[in-house]
Amino acid sequence: MNRAQRFFLRIGALAAKEALHILRDVRTLYLALVMPVVMLLIFGYGVSFDIDQIPIAVLDLDRSATSRELVRRMVAPGEVILGAEVDTAAQGEHLVTIGKVLGLLTIPARASEDLAAGKPVTLQLAVDGSDGVVANQVLSKTEALARSIANDLVGVSGTPSPPMQVKMWTRYNPQARSVLFMVPGLSAYLLAIAAVMLTALAVAGEWERGSMEQLFASPVGRLEIIVGKLLPYLAVGMLQLLLVLALGTWAFDVPIRGSVWLLLLVGFLFLVGMLGQGLLISVIAKNQMVATQAGALSSLLPSMLLSGFVIPIENMPTVLQGLSHIVAARYLVHALRALMLKGAAFSDISRDLVALIIFAVFVLGVATARFRRRLA
Amino acid sequence: MRPRPSAAIQLVSVVRKEILQTVRDKRVMFMLMVAPVLQLVVFGFAVDFTVDNVPTAVVDMDQTQASRQHLRRILADGTLRRRLDAPNPEVSGRALETGEAAASIIFPYGFQRDLDRGETAEVQVVLDGSDPNRSTGAALAVSRYFAQTGAELARERALSRAAATDLQRPPMGSVDLTTRIWFNPGLATPPFLIPGVLAMLLVVVTTIVTSMGLAREREIGTMEQVLVTPMRPQILLLGKLLPFLAIGCFDVAFGLTVGAWVFSVPIRGSVALVFAATLCYVMTTLGIGLLISTFSRTQQQAFLGAFLFAMPALLLSGVMTPIRAMPEWLQLITLFNPLRYYVVVMRETLLKGAGLPEVWGNLMALAVFGLLILTSATLRFHKRLA
Repeated sequence: MNRAQRFFLRIGALAAKEALHILRDVRTLYLALVMPVVMLLIFGYGVSFDIDQIPIAVLDLDRSATSRELVRRMVAPGEVILGAEVDTAAQGEHLVTIGKVLGLLTIPARASEDLAAGKPVTLQLAVDGSDGVVANQVLSKTEALARSIANDLVGVSGTPSPPMQVKMWTRYNPQARSVLFMVPGLSAYLLAIAAVMLTALAVAGEWERGSMEQLFASPVGRLEIIVGKLLPYLAVGMLQLLLVLALGTWAFDVPIRGSVWLLLLVGFLFLVGMLGQGLLISVIAKNQMVATQAGALSSLLPSMLLSGFVIPIENMPTVLQGLSHIVAARYLVHALRALMLKGAAFSDISRDLVALIIFAVFVLGVATARFRRRLA
Repeated sequence: MRPRPSAAIQLVSVVRKEILQTVRDKRVMFMLMVAPVLQLVVFGFAVDFTVDNVPTAVVDMDQTQASRQHLRRILADGTLRRRLDAPNPEVSGRALETGEAAASIIFPYGFQRDLDRGETAEVQVVLDGSDPNRSTGAALAVSRYFAQTGAELARERALSRAAATDLQRPPMGSVDLTTRIWFNPGLATPPFLIPGVLAMLLVVVTTIVTSMGLAREREIGTMEQVLVTPMRPQILLLGKLLPFLAIGCFDVAFGLTVGAWVFSVPIRGSVALVFAATLCYVMTTLGIGLLISTFSRTQQQAFLGAFLFAMPALLLSGVMTPIRAMPEWLQLITLFNPLRYYVVVMRETLLKGAGLPEVWGNLMALAVFGLLILTSATLRFHKRLA
């Protein structure tokens, strides 16, 4: 048997041992595989910013047929609904404070007389600004409604040709389905969790129990230990990736317009980097509790916040934008979106591939180096 | 046999031991006290859901005064940001593909001519829909601009037509809408987000740490050793949970201070109410941690279990996306999520200055959850030990 054969034999033995560990601990495996499914379903159904029906309270100080007609026109299209009719502004404010309605529309006294006399009438809308995203929706929907009512009154909607017209197309995701946006990002996030946390915990556990010293006493080298340990987790990670992609395409019709092989390659490179990061954390922490927190801080948080998964990177302060360049998930999210939604080719994502390779080599190198020092 | 020491002495000694153990490990202290606030700051700076600065490719094929003027006015409110000028729609389409731009505005030839002739001048907008929040935000801004200017122009045209045909002026009674924004006039994200992020960080600090800590004791068998001492199991458990209750309250206080100072998160309501809610909430999250630890044999399982609880609970709490935007069946499920109530109480107290009468229902729900979960977890814990 030559050296290379012995090398692979030892890696194989270690990997088999680690795989047995994983398989014996069925609960961990279940949790690792159930998690992606649960998360994807929740993200797919639950994560959306669009409120279909905006409840508002109406304070009608005019109490005339005209004012009731105005309210009716506001709620007729169904985007804004009448949440409550109140008699005083204080009542309306209370309803907004407890979150029952999102705004208070006030129709001033004498509105009908002013309208009949040809004078302008100003309606007031107070909007609950606590959630900026929702407030913007309320503002734009009610403003559009008020404008169309105003146009009806002036009679411009009947003009044969409107002076200006905007034609809008939305490419890649015309129905604006959040899930198409989420699935690529979610895959990155789940892979980060699986890879970093599971390896960090597994290896830190070995330090805690002292079985790592026993391994050192055996003839296996440190590279063999590392590769053997990481291989089974690589398999679990790839399984998770496949699961998320399969469920995404099957349950939510997320397209995969580019090459599936390229997709798997990107996922593989990312996983190797994340496994390296988990290893590095465990080598430094040597304690599962600390490893969890360090893992959460260094991988889960960045891959959620700084990867562009849910929050657009271009809105962030420059420091964080700069920081996002060293977050591996950023490249994965970009590459996955390009591959799945836009049908990108190899050349479009080559930069991401290079970045992921650099990250993986760097992290694994540092982890191996630290590993040696621990041995001494 | 010596008599059992009093309950108070037992409790104090467990709490002392737990505190000593925690304080000794500087890394754990850092993770419990500093890391949450660090994360809060990152969240505050990173998360901004307001759609602005959408990189836009501009194609002005008309190159007239009118096209330039409207272009400038569309870009004026900052929702769209001019990223590049493309000579034709092919180039801007390519920019959309590579992600260099997320929107493109095209003014075709003859834009000004159509306007001047009183015909319909057309503008084309192409959006990258892969981020729906961004594309709908950009679409809203564009259509709002064109609806507004379109209405103005239509009015002018109607007036001039009326003048030309020597008709009576059209009736000018009109309706307009003035808007006012309560609680958060700048529509800033941090004041809204930070109470939610606090709820999230408390789950990490309490649920995950407790479940792993107890699983660790099971792994190394120290729990059994303590049980042969005259210590009562209930007191042992209480002693283990109390320090975390304190840490949770400390984190909230620290987080709110930093939030108020760095992100101008207002504290309009009563601080006592905030801490009452925090106490009930931490009882719940600790109870869940305890419950998870009784189901797990290893720290790895405990972590995954806690995580499997935390992620859905967070997503379905309204921290990130509004509960109102969820499908109805999912909204029903959120009623069983303790996080939801805490987030509501925090936001209403901090941002809207709500008092006890306003948040009473949510606070009660939180208290009921806390008692229920903590009791059932304690019972299960006993059964596992016996």
